[in-house]
Order: sequence, then structure tokens, then C-alpha cells
Amino acid sequence: MSEEVVFKKMQDAIANYDTDAAVAAAKEAVDSGIDPAVALDKGFASTIREIGEAFERMDIFLPELVMAANAMKAGVEVLENALKAKGTAVEKKGVVVLGTVEGDIHDIGKTVVGAMLSANGYEVHDLGVEVPSPRFIQAAQETHANVIALSALLSTTMLYQRDVLEMLRNKGLQEEFFVIVGGAPVTQKWADEIGANAYARDAIEAVRVLDAHAKEWTK
Amino acid sequence: MNFKEIAKRAETGPLMEGNDFLMQRVAANVLALKKEYDVKWDGKTLVNLDDGLADRCWEAGKELILRSGLFSMNSRRVIQFTKDEIEDTLNNLPGKVNMGEGKEFTTVYHRGVEDPRPPFVMSGPFNADTHENMFIKLNEAFAQEQIIDCLFLPGYLKELDGLMIRPNSGLSSRAAVLYGEWAREAVRRAGRPGMAIIGHSVMALNEIACTNEAFGLRKTDPRAMVLLSELQVDDVTMGRLGYYLAYGTPIYMAHTPLVGGYGGGPDGTAIIAVASFIASIMLNSEICHIGPQHIKYKTQTNNHSLFLGSLANQAANRNSKIITTTSHTTAGRAGSDQYAYEFAALELAVVTGGSSISGPRPAEPLGFNNVSPLMGRLFAEVGHAAAKLSREQAAGIVEKLYEKYKDTMTLETAPKGLPFEQLYDTGKLVPTTEHKACYDRVKEELAHLGVPFAY
Repeated sequence: MSEEVVFKKMQDAIANYDTDAAVAAAKEAVDSGIDPAVALDKGFASTIREIGEAFERMDIFLPELVMAANAMKAGVEVLENALKAKGTAVEKKGVVVLGTVEGDIHDIGKTVVGAMLSANGYEVHDLGVEVPSPRFIQAAQETHANVIALSALLSTTMLYQRDVLEMLRNKGLQEEFFVIVGGAPVTQKWADEIGANAYARDAIEAVRVLDAHAKEWTK
Repeated sequence: MNFKEIAKRAETGPLMEGNDFLMQRVAANVLALKKEYDVKWDGKTLVNLDDGLADRCWEAGKELILRSGLFSMNSRRVIQFTKDEIEDTLNNLPGKVNMGEGKEFTTVYHRGVEDPRPPFVMSGPFNADTHENMFIKLNEAFAQEQIIDCLFLPGYLKELDGLMIRPNSGLSSRAAVLYGEWAREAVRRAGRPGMAIIGHSVMALNEIACTNEAFGLRKTDPRAMVLLSELQVDDVTMGRLGYYLAYGTPIYMAHTPLVGGYGGGPDGTAIIAVASFIASIMLNSEICHIGPQHIKYKTQTNNHSLFLGSLANQAANRNSKIITTTSHTTAGRAGSDQYAYEFAALELAVVTGGSSISGPRPAEPLGFNNVSPLMGRLFAEVGHAAAKLSREQAAGIVEKLYEKYKDTMTLETAPKGLPFEQLYDTGKLVPTTEHKACYDRVKEELAHLGVPFAY
């Protein structure tokens, strides 16, 4: 089977939000001897970018974005394992640890950010909601993350974003991670006040901001 | 339904992951119900004029809550309702609720579509960040507007004594007590001591500390709480609900369906909104508030949300006695003309659909106290005027208003506005000359567009 046919199967799997098909197509790519890095680029990357753009235009909505991101994640895992076996790794834009801060159970905004980052080539570790401040740092260290993304949807829980930054400084880790903050009550002014590296108003801006600051968090 | 039974189901219902609930029970069912009941937005309409669509949306929403249930986020169990339980609750709704005391005792009624009776006007700081130094004055300035029926969410006390308030801390308990005291003091100073205050100090469970018959929030003051998107409830809300039901206060339950989220576009999200209205009354809410969020705009005055608010309210108010109210959050901020264009457009869209009104507030205030009591007055006046219009008449005006702000309705491009202390003489509690001129100018313009003000 030609490479092009396999790539088309991979693209269709993502476009149809089909996790099983994404895994099967990724396995087919590996079994056919296609370089997993090339398969990732030509099979998954462009389609998931298109999905992200369609979401931005509101041509598709959150369920489709989440399903596409899940399909992509499952397919990438197959390619990753193949690369690991060859002693190399999938090239990703960056690794992001993401969650909603302590005392805050709002999930959807953070989920959208995670899905959009995944759709744009980031490896995302979603810690969920009500994440205790030290857990962000622990998870970032465990996953060798470049970025910590902190969501707070309440005026009263924003102060936990401050606490994560303060803990990083206390541990001398502020240079290790790029911290981006967001959420309904969060502003650029607040981000500056607490010493965050960046602020994003929404998921689309989060991708743009991280892409634009790549030199800072990949240093 | 009895709270005892709801609390029991939150511990015993089917166990599932939150994401599975949202994807399998909500998103999948909305998609199916949209097709089954032919609930579809044409991509243009801002105010729904199709009764058939409203009725189909109602049936689809009723079916959704039956199929999905309500997810208890902390126990991860689904609170399920039977068809008979839902019908029984709907058939026994009183269609009215009392609040306030003394001369300010008042009754809120269910309104029908194109109901000529004015909407109930709930206005105040609407949980905008409010500085402790300005808290009483700002709320007094709202309460002194006689056309405002009750003081709405007297403001987030984000800081106290120069410290940020952490939820469930000792400081938050103190803040909740002061919130109740200061809100009561504000309505007293305005000469309306019994005025109902819809309270929600957002101090998590400690918020119940605002309750005090002598100097805080009373049994006659509704308490606001929020269902989480979509069709989810957390333990803090369940805890507050249990307490307030036992105490006997009216319940004001909000839901914030997300346009672009698990319901898809405004049509699917309207089905979720109807399901959320029904979930709210199953939890014993007397006033049910819709405050749609938007994945892109964050405001409630964009074209999607105008249609959603219009359709969901019509669906509920044509087919039940649920008392609905709609929140008004805008891109333009207090002190700008656009602020008023936006809230007026949404009012015209929803008041003609039977809704009462809550608000207004900028979706993204730029600092403390970014609301205006004078705009609360205009908000009430537009609401009263809207009740004199048919949906068709309102639709024409909404189109014109939307044209005025649609190119600057993102939070970045919308006017920045000013805080209360720059819009008012805070000593005399009167608007500045400039702010009064803004009110006069916009009111005249709205009247010119066809908003039938009483004077």
C-alpha cells in the first residue's frame, strides 16, 4: 500500500473523530515501514490543524474538537511507541501541564484549552479541576513540561494562580517553567502582578501566545 | 421534588466519569434530539418568531433532561428523574414567588410570550468585583432607583483588609457576614429597608454566613446558585441548596449553557437551556436564570446568544409556568453608549419571550466597580418598554441595535468604560454630567428606534 493511501486513512480518521480508525491507521503506517515522524506530520498534523481552525470559525464545536484530539492522541501513542523502539521520540512543540486551580471546579474552559493545544501539536497533561498548587509543580517536573497552564474561573480562586507562581519562586524553579494563566476573571494586569509569563483570554489565544513565546519556553 | 430524594439520588445514581456524562449523555443526546425535533437555527434570525420551533425546542429539552439526568460532579453519580416526576413538577408550579418585606414586599409572576406585564427587574453590581470601600455606596445607588425591583448580587468582595479572599477560609466567612450587613445597610440608606436582595457572595459554602435576620440577608431574600455547564451540580451548590430550602428562602438557580460547547450552536444549546430550566425546578428553584456563555465572544449579546435567549425563553414560557429571567452581560463597559445598545438588544429579544431581566454587567470589567446604577435605571426602563412590543416589533429594533455594535463586540474592541467612582459623584450619589448625558443620548436614540418608553 502506498504511503499516500495510509496518510489518507490517518487524515480521514481524525476528520471523522474516529479513535479506533486513528489507531489502526497509525499501526498500518508503522507496519508499512513508514517513518513514524513522517506519518505524524503527513497523516495527523495537517488534519488536526484544520480541525482547530474549523473550531475557531465555529464550523465545528467542542464535542468534535475533543473527539478529534482524543483520536489524535491515541494515534500518536502508537507512533510514539514505534519511535521509542527505534530509540528516538516524536517531535512535539512542547509539553504542557494544565489544570483548574484549587477550590475551582470549572472544567470546560480548561478542556477547550487542552483540546486546542493538542490539536496544535502540544503534548498536554490535563490534571483536571481543583488541583492543589503543589501538584502543578510536581506534575510539571514528572512530565518534563515546558509550560504550566493555570485556569481559574472565579475571582476568589485566582489567588491560587498567584500561589503556584510564589511556590515556583520559593523553590527556585521560576526559570524552569513558562507559566500561562487564564480564566474569566483573569486579566493581563493580574498576570503581570503575580509574575506569570503570559496571559491568554481563551483557547485560541493560548495557542497563539505559546507559539509566539516558543523561544522563551524552549530555552 | 423533595430535597431529601435529590440528595439521596446524588449518592446512589449511576456512577460515571464527568467527561463521559458530557460526551455520551449530553452531546450525543443533543445531536440526536436536534434532528428528532428539527430544532435548527437559520444562521440569521436574532429574535425567534416561530412558535412551532419554540415548542419543538421545549419538547427536545424535556426529553434531554429525561435522557441525561443531572450530574453530581463530586459523587460522580447521575441524579435521574422519571417522566412522571418531571410532569408532576411542571404541572404543580405556582407561577409566582414572593420576596422582600414591608413596603418592599413583592411578587414575581411567570410571564408569557408577549406578556404586556413588565418584567421583574433585578439589577445591581451583579457580582462584578466590588471594592470594600465602595460596596455600600454602589449598592445604595442601585437601590435608590425605584424602578429596580430588587438588588441583584451586590458584588464580589474579592479583597478584605487588603488581602485577597480565599474560598472557605476564615477571611471568607468574615467577608460573607460583611456582604450581608453591607447589602442590608445599602438598601436601608436608600430608604427601602425591606427591599429583596438576591444574594450570592461567592464564598463557597461559607456564603451561608451572610444570613442574619437582624442585619444580613433574610428569609425573604432569594439566594442565587449556579448549575455548572452542562447539566452538572457540585457539592457546594447542593450544600447551599439544602440549607436554604430548610431555612425557607426563595431559590434563584442560574445556568450558563455554553454556545459552541457540548450543545454545538445556538439551536443545540437552546435545548440544553430548556433542560437546565427543568433541572432547576426539579431542584426547587423558584426563579430560573439563563446566562449563556459563548466560547468565542464571552458575552450574551452576540447574534448566537440573542437567538438562544429568545428561543429558550419562548420555549419555556409558552409551555410552562417556570419563572425565567435572563442575565445581560455585554462587551461594552459601563459608561459607554455601546453598553446600553447591547443590553437593550438582548432585553428586547427576551422580554418579548416572557423573560424577566437580570443585570446588566460588562462580561469583562476592567477593574473594580465597573458598573453603573444609572444604567440599571435605563435597563429597567427598556425592560418595561419591551413588554409593550410584539416579538416582530422587537426583532426590527434588535437588528438595528446589533448593527450598531457587531463590529466592536469582542472584549478587545469594545469600549473600556469607567468605574462607578468616575461615573458618579460618590458623595451625593448622583451621576456625573457626562454620564447623565450618555443616558439621555442613548435613551433618545432608543426611543427614535421605536422603544416605547413611558416618558
